[in-house]
Amino acid sequence: MATSNQPSVRQSDLGFRLSRRELLVGAAGVAGAGALLAACGGGDEAVGPLSFGARTVDESPTKQLKALVAAYEAKTGNTVTYNATESNAFQNNLSQYLQGTPDDAFQWMAGYRMQFFAQQGLLVDLSDVWDKIGDQYEESYKIASTGLDGKQYFVPQSWYPWGLHFRKSMLAELGIDPDGVGTWDDFLKMLEGMKSKDLIGFAAADKGGWEAMGTFDIINARVNGYQYHVDLMAGREKWTDPRTAEVFTYWEQLIPYMNDNVLDLEWDGAMQLLLQRKAGAMLMGSWFGGNFKEQSDADYEDLWIIPFPEINPEHKRDTIDAPIDGFCAAKNGANNDGGADFLAFAGDMEGVQAMLDTGVPMTSANKGQDTSTYDAFQTQQLAVMGEAKYITQFLDRDTRPDFAGPVVGPAFQDWFRNPKDVTKILESLQAQWDALPPLT
Amino acid sequence: MIAAAGRTARRRRAFTRGDRLTLALFVGVPIAVHVALVWLPAIATILLSFTYWTGIRYTDITWAGLANYENILFSTPAFWDALRNNAIWVGWFGLIATPLGVLLAYEIDRQIRGHRFYQSAYYLPVVLSLAVTGIIWNFMLRPDGFVNGIMGRDISNAVSFFGNYDINIYVIMVIASWRHIGYIMLLYLAGLKSVDPAMREAAALDGATEWETFRKVILPTMRPVNIIIVVITIIESLRAFDIIYVIYGTSAGLPILGILVFQNIAGEGASMKGAAFAVILFLLSIGPIITYLRQQFREDVR
Repeated sequence: MATSNQPSVRQSDLGFRLSRRELLVGAAGVAGAGALLAACGGGDEAVGPLSFGARTVDESPTKQLKALVAAYEAKTGNTVTYNATESNAFQNNLSQYLQGTPDDAFQWMAGYRMQFFAQQGLLVDLSDVWDKIGDQYEESYKIASTGLDGKQYFVPQSWYPWGLHFRKSMLAELGIDPDGVGTWDDFLKMLEGMKSKDLIGFAAADKGGWEAMGTFDIINARVNGYQYHVDLMAGREKWTDPRTAEVFTYWEQLIPYMNDNVLDLEWDGAMQLLLQRKAGAMLMGSWFGGNFKEQSDADYEDLWIIPFPEINPEHKRDTIDAPIDGFCAAKNGANNDGGADFLAFAGDMEGVQAMLDTGVPMTSANKGQDTSTYDAFQTQQLAVMGEAKYITQFLDRDTRPDFAGPVVGPAFQDWFRNPKDVTKILESLQAQWDALPPLT
Repeated sequence: MIAAAGRTARRRRAFTRGDRLTLALFVGVPIAVHVALVWLPAIATILLSFTYWTGIRYTDITWAGLANYENILFSTPAFWDALRNNAIWVGWFGLIATPLGVLLAYEIDRQIRGHRFYQSAYYLPVVLSLAVTGIIWNFMLRPDGFVNGIMGRDISNAVSFFGNYDINIYVIMVIASWRHIGYIMLLYLAGLKSVDPAMREAAALDGATEWETFRKVILPTMRPVNIIIVVITIIESLRAFDIIYVIYGTSAGLPILGILVFQNIAGEGASMKGAAFAVILFLLSIGPIITYLRQQFREDVR
């Protein structure tokens, strides 16, 4: 297969491989070379060696991604260079990375964070890939993968719900029925029960500056509803609105049940509290199932999730943060064609199956993953998702990046230091929103 | 006329074509590199601090006037927190760490008992980069780290060294001093070696006490080194970044100016607010140093 990497071979194939769509792409003004590349985006032909950038160095996801790469290599004979970067570092460098010499395909997130880079012309249009794999996904995933110009720039890998996680065995010892924790009062009663047993009720972390955003998201959605939350994220509602302040009156009630060192722990610190049975409950995305499984199967089987309790009966439990992770292809990569080809495989059930076969728990975005093969925890995640009518991505994926990280992050950390300063903090948040440059 | 012509001819002969070429290369190349890599980016940063830009497409740059600065001064509480922390940093280094380093150097120079041991012990951290210093101390003090471990605490009740806002800047100060003291000691020790022992003897013969000898004899002789140490102390305090970045990442868990620059200019949230922070940091660093140096050199001239 190696010799077919040569461009000359591809060129000779071109004459009879051009499909109608590819002709249209060519006619739409894409340069000749672009059309040539697009014409070769088939899943079954070699597109030359490519590189893949993973934004994780953790054990479980690495195992998954390496399996995906191996399956792709076995199928196509292409070689894939696997580069891994720690996720925070990867995120901080992304702008520079995409403008320099990035990997052809890389791991990224759906929604605003993808759209921002697509708009800057740094991502490869994956509409062709979606023509191939589109029928394997629900419409909502396609929407989440679509840029502001209506083209797709993203291939989903997996999703996870943000909900209350706990250990079934611990709740059983405390005599609490998780299905009975439906309202805010039930929730506080549960936390009180944990506190009386000298447990941390609500494990919290915010050293990374983003962890607490999930708590804000869900309380805001519960108190003020989905529409208000989305409008606030988009700047159509104000941070100084009394309704926003009300969110903090609920959040504040959780502080007595939190660990004292919220600002010392990153998300995995909070997870350790739950893993080590020091804490009773934690609000987090379900992605860490793999970490529990690394510890032992028994720990994984003990893990459970329920939706965050209802606060305002008007909004029930109708909203959930359920971010979608997946892949993009970098325009400045050496092999756009290869990147797209790899992503077509990653999005196809064949690639998804390769990741599932590693045994690392994953709730795939692909319809082809048979939900009857889900383990109990995954089935419960699906049920938690199923109860929600509205899905949000996460604060730092739903609002402007120059606001979420540098402004909201430190503001919430400030609030943990001085919960009484909430009015001042919200005023400053609004002032900083108002000072943002107009979007180009 | 003839004499003048002769002089020009001689001067011309002093610099041959080859000489001039060599000179041009030796002066021109470093200047070109310096201008390209230091001055142009610096000037670009200053200009960009008056614009809105995400750092990606040049066509997106729009004029913002003073908006970024207004935003920082009037709407960004993190700026004032950072200023406070950097001020504590300067104060701590200036009043505690640097004098301690000088004292150590002085005592070691007097060859007090065990001076070789002290010298090595204090010098050791200096060979580590600040990033490594951060990694080591993060390992020692984080919730699941060594110190909490020997105190028998786990992450659920760990002492909050990095998260407690009342103490964390001082925790960082101790860590930074751990290295800074040795650094200053080393610089000062090198200076002290060049002080003529005869002056000290003369002072002793005149009946000067130890303190008087140091203040009136040693310190004035050490003027060039003193200047370097003052400048280093100020610069090290203001440009601080590595330790904080290693321990807190970009989350501004402990805001200092260096981190605010990075937080606003790297990553997805890039905006020229970061450039404005950089300009402010630059002015804060350069201001006191220029004032100090001018004053010192004026005294020299006198």
